[in-house]
Amino acid sequence: MSTTTLVKSPSTRGPIPNGGGIMRRLNFGTAVLLGFVFAFVGWYISTKIFGDGDGPKHGYGHDRVWIIAMTMWAIGFMTGIGAFVGPIRWLMGKDQKFEDQMYLAGKNQGVARYFKFTTDHKVVGIQYLVVTMTLFFFGGLLAMLIRTDLISKNSEIFGPQTYNAMVGLHGIIMIIATIIMVTGPFGNFIVPIMIGARDMAFPRLNALSLWLVVCVVPILLSAVFLGGIPTGWSAYEPLASQAPPGMDSYLMTIIIFAISSAVAGANIVTTVVKMRARGMTWNRTPIFVYGVVASVGLALPAFPTFMAAQVISGVDRTTGTVFYDTSAGGNDWLYTNLFWLMGHPEVYVILIPAMAAMMEYLPVFVRKPLFNFNAAVIGIAGIVGLSVMVWAHHMYMTGWAPNLNAPFMLTTELISVPTGMLFLVFIGTLWRGKVWARLPMLAVYAMLWNFIIGGLTGIYLSDVPVDVALHGSIYVTAHFHYTLMGAGLVGAMGAVMYWFPKMTGRMFDERIGGWGFWISQIGFNVTFMGMFAVGLAGEPRRVSAYSSIFARGNLISTMGAYTIFTGMLIFLAAIIHSWRSGEIAPSNPWGAKTLEWQVPTPVPLENFEVLPIITSDPYGYGVPEVRRQPEPVSVGDDR
Amino acid sequence: MSNSVETQPQPSKFRTWVKRPYIRHVFFIWFALTVLIEFFGPVQGNIMGPPASESMKAIEDTMALLTYTAAPVAALVIAVVLYSIFGWRQAKGAGPSDESPAIRTNGPVTTIWVLVSSLLCVFLLIWGLGEMNSLAPKATSAKPMVIDVIGNQWAWNFIYPDNGNFESNELYMPKDQPVIFHVSSKDVIHSFWIVQMGVKIDANPFRTTLAHVTPTKLGKFDVRCAELCGLYHAHMQTDAFVVSPSAFNQWIANGGHA
Repeated sequence: MSTTTLVKSPSTRGPIPNGGGIMRRLNFGTAVLLGFVFAFVGWYISTKIFGDGDGPKHGYGHDRVWIIAMTMWAIGFMTGIGAFVGPIRWLMGKDQKFEDQMYLAGKNQGVARYFKFTTDHKVVGIQYLVVTMTLFFFGGLLAMLIRTDLISKNSEIFGPQTYNAMVGLHGIIMIIATIIMVTGPFGNFIVPIMIGARDMAFPRLNALSLWLVVCVVPILLSAVFLGGIPTGWSAYEPLASQAPPGMDSYLMTIIIFAISSAVAGANIVTTVVKMRARGMTWNRTPIFVYGVVASVGLALPAFPTFMAAQVISGVDRTTGTVFYDTSAGGNDWLYTNLFWLMGHPEVYVILIPAMAAMMEYLPVFVRKPLFNFNAAVIGIAGIVGLSVMVWAHHMYMTGWAPNLNAPFMLTTELISVPTGMLFLVFIGTLWRGKVWARLPMLAVYAMLWNFIIGGLTGIYLSDVPVDVALHGSIYVTAHFHYTLMGAGLVGAMGAVMYWFPKMTGRMFDERIGGWGFWISQIGFNVTFMGMFAVGLAGEPRRVSAYSSIFARGNLISTMGAYTIFTGMLIFLAAIIHSWRSGEIAPSNPWGAKTLEWQVPTPVPLENFEVLPIITSDPYGYGVPEVRRQPEPVSVGDDR
Repeated sequence: MSNSVETQPQPSKFRTWVKRPYIRHVFFIWFALTVLIEFFGPVQGNIMGPPASESMKAIEDTMALLTYTAAPVAALVIAVVLYSIFGWRQAKGAGPSDESPAIRTNGPVTTIWVLVSSLLCVFLLIWGLGEMNSLAPKATSAKPMVIDVIGNQWAWNFIYPDNGNFESNELYMPKDQPVIFHVSSKDVIHSFWIVQMGVKIDANPFRTTLAHVTPTKLGKFDVRCAELCGLYHAHMQTDAFVVSPSAFNQWIANGGHA
């Protein structure tokens, strides 16, 4: 930012004249419109060209047609939202004027800026939050349908076709939602303020990453009308090659989402590395920032392999190549490897920022410094490092490389050491702390309960002989729900409650929210304890019917699942209610020391009038007195 | 909790530390929880029905061992959580406290924590490696019987090459006879799972994977598919029968009727 920015940012309301240009006419509506027009044109022309192709077996038309239509949708949507305006102007030699930048940042546009290609990181954060919650709603609804189908033995209310389609769609929706649930809303809204920056390093890339995710949602949901994703979210080959064009929705989703996460990752990492406030050394950087950087940094190498896997899959589907066809000289284990090369880092992409958010606010409620900050950093770094070396523990039973089972068991079990360090940080911070028992704080307790169960049950699966008995059983499903939902989602819910006052300007209703949270937690434990039980008794996962010995456990799980959904709806109601008519929040309701609580609420467009200088880490709570972090000092320094 | 100085006089830091009431309380809760989990823990054998082979027995033993090892770890975390909620809590409705001790870190505790978790990890590794080794097929005097297992959507086929390529949809095995499964698939990836025998290996199209077992128990057992393989994945199951060698020969001779 130039110094002119400071001088020229008037607080007067009303649009800035002459700013924005064509961007004034583009919003979510034009994006959807243009997306549909493009998609229809693509569909129409490609149908004329390819017809029914080699004769589709499933009655949904040719894969080429749908892939072209979806690509055209993406191009149309991104054009309609204005994602290409900047690059085109730049190509034509017209760089943005100051007024254009201000317009792009959403200055004085009220609610309308949430429906535009707005570069302000705070707007992007809120947009991410809404997109995440929308995805969770769809994913949760599918979970309810799945559990309804499993309510009794051989009930098969929806039939196996629909059941398989729902399982795959639930999986991939939840995976995407959980990947963005912390780094999206809070990584964008909170992190730049937390490190004392005025915006992201690349504000337009920031908006791009968000709108790519929005663009993905209809593609993903289109699977419902194209035969679903009947392969589970792992979409193993060659099963996926049998699937109807719902599979094209899946692979286009992954390809576009991988671009989005690469863009977001590069942006957040650059922001944190280059734009931390003066004096914010790595030792004074809040742990949440580490968590977010670790997450998006881990996604940077992980997602391209997934994207490549899906590109190859798409080529196989549309052009008759045989990369994954073992009978024709390809190799289906290539897909399995590419998939899990992403698949295991990905669970830590989800988990780390959620844990880090809780580590960030735990000291605020315990009023103690974070216990052993260095152990927290080393723990996160250790998990990141090891997580790229464990992928084949998902493949112990494939027969791909039996001789590698022992080394992969080694790396997998080693992860328990850095994970244990994170536990040490949590219980060390709790130790002797006089807890301020607000709801976000109580969520930490819930997370620790869930995560110790999720973590320890993972050890059973890491052991090769035990995995012989448990691999592919419902036990696995219960295990990863305990980690990703019990620890990950609970961490994100805690983060919502904690940062709610800063992001919305209103206090979160802890009475309604508390009911929702605890009901969903009870339901959660009932559901997945039931699943552990039937898994240990030998029920395979992803089955639409099961033998009578599993009936009781499944009924319990279904009842628990309904309880989760009830609780989640109440929690959602608390969010909506608080957002609309909650108590107006002071700028620092928790008395926290990180920078985002030192700026006014609502946060001004450029966050800081004067950039702060940092002299200590933000955990100086408790007695004996340690050096307290001063308020941001006005020294007129502005880079 | 401060750093100990070597020259300090008695009593030792550790002893005064142990005498603090919350240490005793947390220790007591931890101990009680550990005992509770050890005795009422989720994995206490016969999880998938009575084990029908040595390998399943070994798997169950390992799971029990893992539970015994995991119980104190889980108990420690939960004990601190419980004591944080009920022991160190403030009065209800109290605001943020300004009395929490500013403990930044604790060298000995961190060291012990990392050391113990690493040792546990090494122990599990060594145990796991030993287990893998003992479960590997051994050269025995008895010549193993080969059974080809073919997965296809959505049924299992068992072929007995030693018995003139006899074919069946149900798995019959003579008791105490080592068996090697040559597992493959005709279409997509399946996973061949004999639940009570601790046998699981993927059935990959156009490839053969190996699994082996020596059934030690007469009876009827479950064969399931453990890898999502399409529409009727849930129904891709059949029965495995372990019978006496004579009954097995009878079954072959009768063309698949026992």
